[in-house]
Amino acid sequence: MGKLERIAAQQDRAAGRGPSRRSFLLTAAGSAFLFGFARQGKAAQVYPQSAPAALQEASAFEPTIWCSIAPDGWVNVNIIRAEMGQHIGTALARIIADEMEADWNKVRITYVDTDPKWGLMVTGGSWSVWMTWDQFRQAGAAARTVMVEQGAKLLGVAPSACIARNGQVIAGSRSISYGDIVSRAHPTKTFTPEEMAKLPLKPSSEQRLIGKDVKALDIPAKTDGTAIYGIDAKLDGMVYARPKLPPTRYGSKVVSVDDSEAKKVKGYIRYIVLEDPSDTVPGWVAVLASSYPAAIRATDALKVVWTPGKTANVTEQDILDYGRKQIANKAGGSRVFNDPGVDETFAKAAKVVEQTYTCSSVLHYQLEPMNALARQHEGKWEIHCGNQWQTLFLPVIAKALQVPETDVVMRSYLLGGGFGRRLNGDYAVPAALISKALGGKPVKLVFTRSDDVLFDSIRSPSVQTVRAALGPDGNITAWQHHASAGWPTRVMASAFMEKGADGKPYDQFAIAGADHWYDVGPMLVRALDNDLASETFRPGWLRSVSSGWTPWAHESFLDEIAHARKLDPVDYRLSLLDSKGRNAGSAPNSVGGASRQANVLKRLVEKCGYGKVSLPADTAIGIATTFGQERNMPTWTAGAVQVHVDRKTGVVTCQKIWLVLDAGTIIDPDGAAAQTEGGALWGLSMALFEGTEIVDGNVRDRNLNTYTPLRISDVPDMDVEFLPSTEKPMGLGEPGVTTIAPAVGNAIFNAVGVRLRHLPVRPADVLKALKEKGNA
Amino acid sequence: MVKFKLNGRDVSVDVPDDTPLLWALRDDLDLTGTKFGCGVGQCGACTVLVGGRATRSCITPLSSLEGADVTTIEGLDPNGKHAVQEAWKDIQVPQCGYCQSGQIMQAVSLLKDYPDPTDEEIDGVMGGSLCRCMTYVRIRKAIKKAAAALRKEEASNG
Amino acid sequence: MIKRLLAGAAAIGAIGGLGFLYYAWYPPIEPVEPPAPGSFSAEQIERGRIVAAEGYCAECHTRTDMGGGPELAGDYKMDTPFGAIYSSNITPDVQTGIGNWSEEAFQRAMHLGVSRKGVHLIPAFPFDHFTKMTNQDVSDLYAYLMTRPAVHMTRRANELPFPLSLRILQAGWKLLYFSPGVYKPDPRHDALWNRGAYLSEGNAHCGACHTPRDFMGAEKKSAPYDGAVVDNWIAPPLNEHNPTPTTWTEDELFQYLRFGVAPLHGPAGGPMSPVPHRFLSTVPEEDVHAIAHYFADVGHAAEREKHDKAALARAMEQSKTDLIGPSVDPDAKLYQGACAACHYNAAPSPVLGRPDLALNNALWLSEPTNLYQVMLHGLTAEEGQTGVAMPSFYNALSDQDMARIAAYLRRTRTTLPPWTDLEKKAAAVRKTVTTIPVNSSH
Repeated sequence: MGKLERIAAQQDRAAGRGPSRRSFLLTAAGSAFLFGFARQGKAAQVYPQSAPAALQEASAFEPTIWCSIAPDGWVNVNIIRAEMGQHIGTALARIIADEMEADWNKVRITYVDTDPKWGLMVTGGSWSVWMTWDQFRQAGAAARTVMVEQGAKLLGVAPSACIARNGQVIAGSRSISYGDIVSRAHPTKTFTPEEMAKLPLKPSSEQRLIGKDVKALDIPAKTDGTAIYGIDAKLDGMVYARPKLPPTRYGSKVVSVDDSEAKKVKGYIRYIVLEDPSDTVPGWVAVLASSYPAAIRATDALKVVWTPGKTANVTEQDILDYGRKQIANKAGGSRVFNDPGVDETFAKAAKVVEQTYTCSSVLHYQLEPMNALARQHEGKWEIHCGNQWQTLFLPVIAKALQVPETDVVMRSYLLGGGFGRRLNGDYAVPAALISKALGGKPVKLVFTRSDDVLFDSIRSPSVQTVRAALGPDGNITAWQHHASAGWPTRVMASAFMEKGADGKPYDQFAIAGADHWYDVGPMLVRALDNDLASETFRPGWLRSVSSGWTPWAHESFLDEIAHARKLDPVDYRLSLLDSKGRNAGSAPNSVGGASRQANVLKRLVEKCGYGKVSLPADTAIGIATTFGQERNMPTWTAGAVQVHVDRKTGVVTCQKIWLVLDAGTIIDPDGAAAQTEGGALWGLSMALFEGTEIVDGNVRDRNLNTYTPLRISDVPDMDVEFLPSTEKPMGLGEPGVTTIAPAVGNAIFNAVGVRLRHLPVRPADVLKALKEKGNA
Repeated sequence: MVKFKLNGRDVSVDVPDDTPLLWALRDDLDLTGTKFGCGVGQCGACTVLVGGRATRSCITPLSSLEGADVTTIEGLDPNGKHAVQEAWKDIQVPQCGYCQSGQIMQAVSLLKDYPDPTDEEIDGVMGGSLCRCMTYVRIRKAIKKAAAALRKEEASNG
Repeated sequence: MIKRLLAGAAAIGAIGGLGFLYYAWYPPIEPVEPPAPGSFSAEQIERGRIVAAEGYCAECHTRTDMGGGPELAGDYKMDTPFGAIYSSNITPDVQTGIGNWSEEAFQRAMHLGVSRKGVHLIPAFPFDHFTKMTNQDVSDLYAYLMTRPAVHMTRRANELPFPLSLRILQAGWKLLYFSPGVYKPDPRHDALWNRGAYLSEGNAHCGACHTPRDFMGAEKKSAPYDGAVVDNWIAPPLNEHNPTPTTWTEDELFQYLRFGVAPLHGPAGGPMSPVPHRFLSTVPEEDVHAIAHYFADVGHAAEREKHDKAALARAMEQSKTDLIGPSVDPDAKLYQGACAACHYNAAPSPVLGRPDLALNNALWLSEPTNLYQVMLHGLTAEEGQTGVAMPSFYNALSDQDMARIAAYLRRTRTTLPPWTDLEKKAAAVRKTVTTIPVNSSH
């Protein structure tokens, strides 16, 4: 059982559901599942919008809860993942449609609302394709099997004489469409999960949709204004609300509220001091108005006095210093790798080298500010919004409302950017509480951008120390990686934390990446929860989570060691990627192990001309390689970055990025490229353009006047290549991020000989390093 | 009450004159294709055309639109098939899509000023439109494709 | 426009004596029955309409606060350092307007700054310019005004404190500064130039805003069209001291005055906006050409024009600064996000509707006042280039943000020394905004 399956099973148990609920429900046609809820507020989005309305589905054949075939031949695929730009519905529908031999022109996808029958609803970690692959192929095979059996009967031939192709069952020159089969034969065949698992799957050579260029079903609606996001939700009679945020994330208490000025704003209704049993939004006040502009102004005019929580004076430096202290203390934390012999090897090392790397806080700044619309309707609490981890937040909302979880439903909308921010559904809690205070009346809570940023669950600042024991020949004989950061999973989903080699729980998303595939002797990988960070803000998952910053440490460090030994950093890495021991890999996820990481690295070097091309002064290529995001789901990744460093200004300019990835089977080549390009530019943005810091207990930046993410003019040339593979598909949403920052750091060193160890790299830091080097 | 033209039709909205066009569009006129991003005119998600020029609707008060001609993403083309929209679909530009209405409106405006834009001109004009999914490479490609299509259209219209 | 006040207008106490009283004294002119509208020819009324438009009468004689007032009915509030004053009703209402003014009384008011009753008018009413108008023009204007709808509306009382409220003191001001007399054509120039000079110096009273005033509030004869501060905006110099990198040529001036936007300089904003849009777009084109012709000469356009090509090329190069290719300068990023989408330009010259800031007056003036004003207010579709709006950054940019943009632009788009105290000045200009233009978020 993979990590996600484990998480799902835990969640099911926690919710009192048996594992069977998550198995395929093979039901007869006419299942009420698809019609159990009204389409209020345009929830449960269907794409393409040109598909017919769901009229014929009452008589559709629904071989599993995942798909149905209507008498008119349209195939509906239910998508329980959040659509936030990865066109996940299209990718997943392709898996089912390919195996089913459906007519792609008659496939539609439905982004469904929450329902216990769907099991775990989470979209993150680049897991979606990987965790749905087997399930959807089996579901497609089930549908195809039934179509062939029934079609053969209608054609009067043996099933073995038939093939399924493009929505038809064909026997020689005769054929019958899936729609006709459904309308004439009314199939009701069911399978047990065991039978499902035994169904023959098509070989990859027979795949007709997977790996081919197909247009994403949700894209047209995203070019003409018809795509509906959470912020677009609307219900009759709703009022608008804006939060008034307390001075600290936790522990602030409202002392007094004065709305005399707010009352002068036309449209102001009232304020509410929120009482939150879930403690998600302590010390919050909400302002209600008849329009959003009125809510904006009235909130500004409302005067609230708080006693702030104890983190009111915490700074970024405090948090980093705290992390350094944690690392210096040998006790504490969780040991993810705790190989025997680490201490001994270090004790007898010829030399020990060590460096510390830090990363700033990073904002999500997803473009759609946080929002949620809540109401009580027909006995249920409805939350209308986009969310990445519905299963996680329904219980929180239930707790806030003091109702059973079964009384809460989330209506699904498109997400105007996720990047991990919407894994955390905290923003829906205040909406629910306001609606409750209004007796269930619909209320739409919208955060202004500065509200959104202040309430962001940021990527925690981090401190990492990497230490290597070197033998007499200079080779690495043992390895330590210590990382301190705020742990999002402990704060928001502690039940899902993994257990380390020492049996202690840890946040895999605050250390993943450090558990690398290099052969460096016995390893100690220690994850430390920076309590001061977690007390000051709510740490968040942000695109590629810790794999967005752990490689900054070890991929920089490896280059430092290689340069110190006058070895080529690439050759040196290749020598460590020997696929031995635990790095040999295993089926189904990591067949080939580290050798595949070596392959992408070799291909990358061929492409970018690293070490061969001659470049102008102060210009150089740097290289880094990772296994994507998680050891258990490796997307083998190698990245190269060419930078120019201006010695006068300290400005680092990225001129080109090359990426080579092996992500197993590529379902959607165009989408894979898009995800990887986007990821790489996130990586570049966090390396050179964006980053904030904690000042007086909150992030310093509130909007684009001072927060400066990468824009179009900052985009370098990009060259992305996927190595062909028929292995199980891995994730692609995040690996693109992972190599860029260390590649930038390594390139800067190659260009001007200075080593930067803090992200983002700012011109002042480069100048300072250049100056120190000059003095040295 | 301010009167203006919206997607070719005369409208007036019964809200205070200092209401940003964005919220009048979204909440009072039910045109939600125009998006709220930063609220301070620096991300471009709320971009509409006023008098044919890209304008940040989140900080443009209704009071400044008396007699103006406003076009939103919904009114760009009756079938959603403006050359820029077609190019956006062909190149598969959108990821989450949230910024794309604004990107498209900004690109339409760009192509009016620079019918055959260079990379520099694209950078210069599109730099105010933030895409957090970072679809920038495709935005550039799609703009060039749309430009070619529009020039062809122009040529065939004589 | 023209809302400037002669701050020192009444500091006249020292001047005395009988001679002065004699000089100061004008008899009342008997009231008359309002002339019947039919007593004026349609042609004369139309000529009068043009005169009224070229003198912008409605601008200062129509209330704009308190939700506005009927056209020409007065009560327009002008703030002075000494207190507010309110313009008079010039509709033909008998009790509250000028309905019982004979043409003789009207001519005297325009030419000598004295009301029908013989009271000296405050020089906020720019009779020092109107005195140059021909009797015929004044007569036509009379015909136009007397055929407007009579509006019964009393203006609010002036808030000038004693002794400034003593109108007799205005006579002393006149003694010192006022030289009456109709415009005399300059034989060294052609008819077009003289027409332009006649309009600009007289009826259009351009100097009222664009010529600096001395401590007595009189236009400095030594520095005509040297630029001045009006209503918290800078009315830029119209002479050779105009700092913009490209010349205000006759054509640029014409485009600006006729349509509200000069391709190489930018749109008319603030108090200047109504001049083209409300007035000069409605008068004969030749008159606008004449004014443009005249100011091209005042600004020595012919001598300066030869530098334009180079200046334009440099501006187009500067326009791209930090927008092309990567930049990590936080101020450049702010400019890129907030401004550049509309203000970027590429060679060979700016696109109409993309005012190029490297060429724009506002960046080249001695103070950032106009730049700040435009940031805070934006431009409505009726201002500047018609149909195009610039948003209001009142809530979108803090004083610090505005200061950063101002400093950045001054540094990268001009060759002038940096402005000083930018954040303080941003706050000061912000304070002058009485109604927040837009209820936006942050």
